[in-house]
Amino acid sequence: MRASPRPVFQTLFNGLITGVIMTLPALAVTLLFGVLKFPNFAVGAMMTVAAYLAFALNAQLGWPLLVASLVAALGMGFACIAIDQVTFKPLRERGAITLMVASLGLGFILENIARFAYGNTARSFVMELARPFRFFEIRMNREQMITIAVATAAMLLMWALLTRLPIGRAMRAVADNPALALVRGIESPRVIRWTWFITGVLLGVGGVLVGMDRALEPPMGSNYVISVFAAAILGGLGSPLGAFAGALIIGVVSELSTLVMAPNYRIGVPLMAIAIILIFRPQGLFGQPYIRR
Amino acid sequence: MRGNDSGGEMISFLVLLGIVVCFSAILALALNFQWGLGGMVNFGLTGFYALGAYSSALLMLKAGANTFFATLGAILIVALVCGLVALVTLRVAEEDYFAIVTLGVGEMLRLVVLNEDWLTKGALGLTGIPRPLGDLVPPGQYQYFLLALSAAALLGVLAFLTVIQRSPFGRLVRAVREDDVVAATLGKNVLWARVRIFAIGGGIIGLAGSLHSFYYQYIDPTQFTNIVIAYAFMAVIAGGRGAHRGAILGAAAVMVLLEGSRFVKDAIPALDSDQLAAIRIIIIGAGLIALLIWRPQGFLREYRLKISP
Repeated sequence: MRASPRPVFQTLFNGLITGVIMTLPALAVTLLFGVLKFPNFAVGAMMTVAAYLAFALNAQLGWPLLVASLVAALGMGFACIAIDQVTFKPLRERGAITLMVASLGLGFILENIARFAYGNTARSFVMELARPFRFFEIRMNREQMITIAVATAAMLLMWALLTRLPIGRAMRAVADNPALALVRGIESPRVIRWTWFITGVLLGVGGVLVGMDRALEPPMGSNYVISVFAAAILGGLGSPLGAFAGALIIGVVSELSTLVMAPNYRIGVPLMAIAIILIFRPQGLFGQPYIRR
Repeated sequence: MRGNDSGGEMISFLVLLGIVVCFSAILALALNFQWGLGGMVNFGLTGFYALGAYSSALLMLKAGANTFFATLGAILIVALVCGLVALVTLRVAEEDYFAIVTLGVGEMLRLVVLNEDWLTKGALGLTGIPRPLGDLVPPGQYQYFLLALSAAALLGVLAFLTVIQRSPFGRLVRAVREDDVVAATLGKNVLWARVRIFAIGGGIIGLAGSLHSFYYQYIDPTQFTNIVIAYAFMAVIAGGRGAHRGAILGAAAVMVLLEGSRFVKDAIPALDSDQLAAIRIIIIGAGLIALLIWRPQGFLREYRLKISP
């Protein structure tokens, strides 16, 4: 399947696409960590479920992929609010470990709902085929162009939301200092609902992009979990800008690593990245300095 | 002829179930030590378990070790790897980071098993794994022997962990779980304690993996999926974090449910095996969350020193 050694620029470009796709889930992880202070291990499965939802609307009901994806992403946003009410809200005061274990269990449930419904066979969205085109020796296809456009639009919207809208500022305030935010009259349940909604939408769009880039299969989302966490940690957990940069770096470096080592061990890159960051700069590139009690 | 056999088949099924319960319980005890007592989440459990099974099998098949030394080797290898993971990660990190790293290492181990064909035969798996005293015990009786052996291993692990738990080191383990800063302030070396906790748990995982390869005599990557980690966590939470006997009871209950659910397939023939596997994991995941919400303390209590009246 893999052709003879690809030129470096092609690999770089492919890595950039992987990184661009990962910016969305990495931002979701970091936002949620900022507000709720636990790493959500169900991110992968949430992407999977949203992608299959889009698949159901697109391939089975015949909706155009754009509409199907939008509905699936919004649906995932609302689903996340519901999931939080049922699963995480009762556990809120129990500490990060309990929430992590619950999110692990939730991930198993969601991924296997997709497996139950559609089996282990790989599937793909229905969209018209277009010939890949070349740009200075780099082969690009239309899906990759769409990916870049969609992810850029999502990032700009997120930036506007976090810096310009009251709810975004409230989210950043809660992430920064929950006690102070409470004193200033910021309603945390509302902030938490919004955070989950945005998380869900980001993961929904991310899931569709992954499905477009590769194929739809139950582990499609969980395959990205390590890289996404590595991206968020590299950028500094809780820092949206950091998640964006981290995702691009991890994507590009993972892909470049295939030039020098077996592509199957690509996942070693994010893993090494986490180890190196933790040893030399635990707060990540853009994170707050790390203060122990 | 078949009809007369059904009683024997039932006994056989129960014996095999007993063996599976034993090594699941050993795995649950390992997780209970690392997470329940030591507070160190291990999301890479499946990978470490696979490492144990493959180490044991490869030591026998490639290095010609006998079953005893293969098991010992598997214990040491997994303990060493777990200790290293703890050493590298915990130098600076908090629990959340540790969980992520264990997840990544577990996944990496799984990939090695799947991709290093020259060593592990990849997706084909390893066959013809020798069993302890395989040529001395008659084949017809072997399952009873393996049950006895697994039960002995389980009791041995339980005794070992009980001794540790009641020793000064056991108090250190709980102190590190409850508040590492206080433990450090009292002059304890928290990092070293955590490395030992994780390594000891790893050794026990290696033992469970070794028993796994004796039992199946054939191992391949599909045996080491998320269901392993799901049921281990379920067993520990149901049993009550920190309670050894609870973890064993929890593992037994979960395995009986899992193995019992194969009869569901006969009841609902419309389900294919993938769907059945999916339902099992959905049920375990839901049970896990339900327990965390409604009965986080589990059903048994952790052993505590009591002041006698």
